[in-house]
Amino acid sequence: MSTLLDISGLSRRFGGLVAVGDVGMEVAAGSVHGLIGPNGAGKTTMLNLISGHLASSAGKIQFDGSDITRWPVDRRARFGIRRTFQNLRLFREMTVLENIMVGMHGQTHCEIWHALLRSPQQQAEETAITERAREALDFVGLAHLADMQAGALPYGSQRLVEIARAIVARPKLLLLDEPAAGLNGAESQRMVDLIRMIRASGVTVLLVEHHMDVVMPSCDCITVLNYGRRLANGSPAEIRAHPEVIKAYLGGRLKRRAKPTQSSQPEAAHASP
Amino acid sequence: MTIDQLVQTTLGGLAIGCIYSLIALGISMIIRATDILHFAQGEMLMIGSMAGLSSFWLQGMPFWLVLLAGVLGGGLVSMLVEVVVYRTLRLRRVSAINIMIATLGVSIVLQNVARLVWGSEPLRYPTLFASGGVKFAGFTVSPQLIWIVLLSGLIMGVLILFFRFTRLGIAMQAAAQDPDVAQLMGISVDRTTTYTFAISGMMAGAAGVLLGSLFFASFNMGFLTGIKAFVAATLGGLGSIAGAMIGGLIFGLIETFSGTLISTAYKDAVGMVVLIAILLFMPTGLLTRGGREV
Amino acid sequence: MRSSLIARLGVALLLAAVPLLQSNAYWVHIFSLALIGVILAFSQQLLVGMAGIVSLGQGAFYGIGAYTAASLAISFHVPFVLAIVAGGLLAGLSSLLLIPIVRLKGSSLAVATLGFAIIVHLVMLNEDWLTGGSIGMIDIPAPTLFGFSLGGEKALYYICLITAAAVFLAFDRIAHSRFGRALTAISQDEEAARASGINIAVYKSKCFLVAAIASGIAGGLYAFHSRYLNPNDFDFQKSIDILIMVVIGGIRSLPGAALGAAIVVLIPELLRASGEFRLLLFGVMVIVFAGAGSKGLSGILVDLVKYIAQHGQRWLLQKPWTARL
Ligand SMILES: Nc1ncnc2c1ncn2[C@@H]1O[C@H](COP(=O)(O)OP(=O)(O)O)[C@@H](O)[C@H]1O
Ligand SMILES: [Mg+2]
Repeated sequence: MSTLLDISGLSRRFGGLVAVGDVGMEVAAGSVHGLIGPNGAGKTTMLNLISGHLASSAGKIQFDGSDITRWPVDRRARFGIRRTFQNLRLFREMTVLENIMVGMHGQTHCEIWHALLRSPQQQAEETAITERAREALDFVGLAHLADMQAGALPYGSQRLVEIARAIVARPKLLLLDEPAAGLNGAESQRMVDLIRMIRASGVTVLLVEHHMDVVMPSCDCITVLNYGRRLANGSPAEIRAHPEVIKAYLGGRLKRRAKPTQSSQPEAAHASP
Repeated sequence: MTIDQLVQTTLGGLAIGCIYSLIALGISMIIRATDILHFAQGEMLMIGSMAGLSSFWLQGMPFWLVLLAGVLGGGLVSMLVEVVVYRTLRLRRVSAINIMIATLGVSIVLQNVARLVWGSEPLRYPTLFASGGVKFAGFTVSPQLIWIVLLSGLIMGVLILFFRFTRLGIAMQAAAQDPDVAQLMGISVDRTTTYTFAISGMMAGAAGVLLGSLFFASFNMGFLTGIKAFVAATLGGLGSIAGAMIGGLIFGLIETFSGTLISTAYKDAVGMVVLIAILLFMPTGLLTRGGREV
Repeated sequence: MRSSLIARLGVALLLAAVPLLQSNAYWVHIFSLALIGVILAFSQQLLVGMAGIVSLGQGAFYGIGAYTAASLAISFHVPFVLAIVAGGLLAGLSSLLLIPIVRLKGSSLAVATLGFAIIVHLVMLNEDWLTGGSIGMIDIPAPTLFGFSLGGEKALYYICLITAAAVFLAFDRIAHSRFGRALTAISQDEEAARASGINIAVYKSKCFLVAAIASGIAGGLYAFHSRYLNPNDFDFQKSIDILIMVVIGGIRSLPGAALGAAIVVLIPELLRASGEFRLLLFGVMVIVFAGAGSKGLSGILVDLVKYIAQHGQRWLLQKPWTARL
């Protein structure tokens, strides 16, 4: 399989704190790649670096044949990197369908004057956008909620809307930041199915997740972070057996098993290049 | 520019800068405590100026009583507006932009009340200070300007001591920094907010008497002065007490010097260009570290 | 869809009938002024209601449009339609000066636009060769079309009405387009908007551009409406008034903006009887409406209509006294 995302020597410091230090990682095209690690390990920071919401302190990000290290967020998004956020970021006062239609922005082109003139091109594009948005909504199983106000939905549905918004433009790479956080057992299982379906539709997925029952069955390959460093990399079976990982992460987690696994880390998406 | 002119202009700039500092302090205190961008702060200056003038008319009072009347006038009105208007809006959980509009409404109301009470013509301020120049280090300078600088310095000094050493001052600081924690510690945030408005109104009132004594008093003297003070506060770093003081002084100097060196007509424009440049290149101002979106 | 079309036609007919119902020239003059205000409020609504940008600079674009149209009409006898369009375009062009500041947020951006408005006003006040300085511009010719004079108050009213309706339709289309959705997305969550491929700075600049063109067109209309321009018609107070219109009428709603504009222009006129107190009362109203919440007056009216629709019917059927009516 070819490599879609190739990260080398990526670092990000916050003042004295090394949130991500010298991390290298390869994500194969068409795979689901897991990124796991304890709270504060630097997973969200990694996603922010890949999506462009944070500028890297050092290192290189190669994506689909281009060096995108210095690209701004919106350019990366149009080039095929879409994401969800750990702390939901929906357009709360827009409808569910409109939220997803915004996801098509980068793939469409009509300008103000097209809208003013209601040109045939604009009409056709609007129809296409609406159709695609409905398809995506159907894909995540929320077709019946299209006209609800997004902010009024229950938490689990909001997560799905965010995913629909990210995949509606058929990105090359989808970054998911703890999509199963706050979901119950049955909902988590549906999330596993959804991730499989997304993969089957040809989208590569980079999955940050705490729930091992979501990570293990979904991923082809897993990278483990600890204190901002790469601890291990391999197949789910290899990771499960990796002594360092068990010590640093899985062992610790097993004890905290009873606790819900929603991270309380604040989203790290302020600074930008 | 001769040395003499330089001294005069600098002193003039410092004096007007002190007046901006006094208002900017209030704006910063309010934004820190309540996140309200208080467009009506300039009106407290106007009210103070008018109150001082009226007290003089009534009794021909000595200067320090005129100043006291201005301080009380500005403080009372500011407190009243907070209790009657802004607190009500906060309780109704009205959005920030609506509160901002309400401050504009307050400004319109106060201006028109003042116009009804004091008329629409500018009113001459009495000579509150000995007229004629005094010799100062070999230069002849206006005693008025020196008084303004000294008095403003004194007021700001008292404010700093108040924040450092009094229980109320410390409580106000705490409440502004973290209202929730302060509430847990038994501080009534409503009360500290009322005091914040009272104190900022008092300082603006003092500024009003000082500014009036330089020129005149009129019902519309406040708004633009308030905007300029906001620029000054932004210059120093919105929400920072020291920043407001320094920002006021710098802005007063910039304005006065550009009035003398560039053109009187465009001195306000220079101030605005400075404002935009500061916002762009030093969005957090000269003295604060870490962004704070207001 | 159909009911909204009927409502629009109804409002249009009603507005078209206004000069017939109240033909007093003074009042028709004021109504035209209100329609110019409506266009200004639309421009502010595009910024604040759609993109979440608080602009305190629309008065500057209004002035630029007015002075441009007036100069062209006076010095080059340019026909009024062209002069007004040119006013809009030049206002749009000058909005490009705001490109550096669009990356500011919230009140910083608002204050920066206020700074811009103050600078533009000073230019109008001081550049005699360009704007006539503090005296302003006098003797702006009456608008003519194909040799007919359109200088009468009624003709001007209809010119303003048609323009306001056109701007309404244009902005309504924008609101339901890719551009409008992008602006709304930006106002709700900038990071998520960027992650959807929207270039924030470009879209905010475009929003300022479109809003400035509309404000400039309003200015052009004003030049022919008042036939005399004074720089103090375009001071920062004007910019503030335009923002007040939108907040009173209701943020996010175009009809709301129109309602707010009508209130801001007409109420002080209606309060003339209260003489000295009229601006005081106006200030009180601003506070009260601002306190009513972000839905503004239009939101309150909509709620009221819904309430009556829901409960009114039952009352009519149940209350014994209705039987006696
Ligand atoms: N914007 C930021 N400023 C300062 N420190 C940050 C910021 N974002 C994240 N961090 C720190 O970086 C570390 C990694 O955080 P994060 O990437 O959110 O971890 P994870 O997602 O793995 O839980 C944490 O110690 C966190 O406190
Ligand atoms: Mg995280």
